[in-house]
Amino acid sequence: MNMEELEERFSAKKFWKELAKGIILTNPVFVLVLGLCPTLAVTTSVNNALGMGAGVIFVLLGSNFIISIIRKITPGMVRIPVFIVVIASFVTILSLVFEAYLPPLYESLGIYLPLIVVNCIILGRAEVFASKNPIIYSIADGLGAGLGFTIALIIISFLREVLGTGSLVIFGKQLFSIPVISTSPLSIFIMPPGAFIIIALLMALFRLIGVLKNE
Amino acid sequence: MNNLLTIFLGLVLINNFILAKFLGLCPFFGVSKKLSNAVSMGAAVTLVMLIASIATGIIYNYILVPYNVQFMNIIIYILVIAALVQIVEIVIKRTNIMLYNALGIYLPLITTNCAVLGITLINAQNNYSLLQSIVSALGGGLGFTLMLVIMSAIREKNELADTPKSMKGLPIAFIIASLLSLAFMGFNGLL
Amino acid sequence: MARKETGNSFNKILQNKFYPIIFLALIVFIAVVLLMYVNNITRVKILEQREAKIISQLKNIFPDMDKYELKENIYIILKNGKTIGYSFIAKGKGYGGEINTLVGINKDFSIKEITVLSNSETPGLGTRVTLSSFTDQFKGLKSADVVLSKDGGKVDAVTGATISSRAVTDSVKKELDKNIEIIKKNNY
Repeated sequence: MNMEELEERFSAKKFWKELAKGIILTNPVFVLVLGLCPTLAVTTSVNNALGMGAGVIFVLLGSNFIISIIRKITPGMVRIPVFIVVIASFVTILSLVFEAYLPPLYESLGIYLPLIVVNCIILGRAEVFASKNPIIYSIADGLGAGLGFTIALIIISFLREVLGTGSLVIFGKQLFSIPVISTSPLSIFIMPPGAFIIIALLMALFRLIGVLKNE
Repeated sequence: MNNLLTIFLGLVLINNFILAKFLGLCPFFGVSKKLSNAVSMGAAVTLVMLIASIATGIIYNYILVPYNVQFMNIIIYILVIAALVQIVEIVIKRTNIMLYNALGIYLPLITTNCAVLGITLINAQNNYSLLQSIVSALGGGLGFTLMLVIMSAIREKNELADTPKSMKGLPIAFIIASLLSLAFMGFNGLL
Repeated sequence: MARKETGNSFNKILQNKFYPIIFLALIVFIAVVLLMYVNNITRVKILEQREAKIISQLKNIFPDMDKYELKENIYIILKNGKTIGYSFIAKGKGYGGEINTLVGINKDFSIKEITVLSNSETPGLGTRVTLSSFTDQFKGLKSADVVLSKDGGKVDAVTGATISSRAVTDSVKKELDKNIEIIKKNNY
């Protein structure tokens, strides 16, 4: 029995630990402040946020999986270019699939769909985790970071869409509408300045909670 | 000419990379604490954006479009940018050590700066010619630098202000960005 | 023992100084082949989607059309092989960026209907040019009347969004005049 097999042996506890870590303790957006560009750009509606979140989860799972498989034969010298090629391939596949089967989402995400390539979260997870850990935990890690990112996007886009339009529309269906806001919406929240304000307040809130806990 | 001016001013003032398109936010918040660093970072990004736009403009117009393989642009662009950043770093190191000391530490960060890949994708999306791509890169880079300089000047003063504990650092920087973005919306309708 | 030997020769490959380059090239090659394959699968669907989108937009204006032909950026709308109208896209500079409007015209060159395809105007203000309360005003107008009413024409601007309204109106008029010339000249 060598160390390899021992390491590869599946531990459910560790799997869930890696998964939960990315969602809460090291939430990519609110705690690590990574992947800011899409976080602000596509959160004008919950629909876009869900699309972007699903895309990032797909790419993270794919790239973490492949990079973990080839981690022992990848030469350190060309490590980063290899990661970039793997990530860019998954992003291209995602982009082609979205264009073919979900054209409205493809159009509303625009250049932010290909820009997933330079999302620091994905390259970060490849470098820090997947290139050093067994496949199964790399998948858990990717899923955790991806879900953490998606949850952050959903919170931000929910606040922006509800305040900015007074209603919530998902998959073309209106879920609810708030009487006063929908007749005279606070459009500023849909526009860029509103994105910055919402993020600033959410970050301050996360900090305040942290400060109160420590005291 | 009018068209080129529209592209340029549009990217500097109206569709500013940071305030309206949210591209390059990581260096924007990371490097905007000191005025001197902001100028160097802005210059480095503008330089790489310009070279990358020329390179990808040639690839897009003379390889991808004629052979109808535009879907390969993501993977090709990111590799070109990564290679270019390496080359620029080596060239600057060999030729101008002063410049290297000023820009050096920012160069490796630029590969994963969405502003650089962003400008090449915007050029491709709008089917810009080579000349238009160059102008849009200059506009995008200048707009980015302008914001970095304004932001760092404000943050230097803000350091002295009595900010609430939970708003210190990034949250207040986002509030400043929000006000800047609001101010720059005044340029809408200029063109 | 045999296992150890393969392990050794494998290590030799890993230590070869050209190995990193070969490995990177191999990864790029695999990626390119994979992407070509995915592109082949999705391409038909993507072209279909683009075509379907154009047809559905044209059908909003010409419900009884069955085919179209594209010549010099003008969509010639056909029904049973006969021309029933023309359509084209007008691009105007609005408040926040470009506003693209699809214009449908009858055979007598009066406007049948317009729809705003895309815009980046201020939500709640400029975006109101997409509403039928604004676009319906264009129905039946001849080119001479496609001017804002404050400039002596027949189109009322959306309150608080004069720039957006003017962008749509002016771009429609400009393209209309240009394309009528082309249609007449080539006898489409």
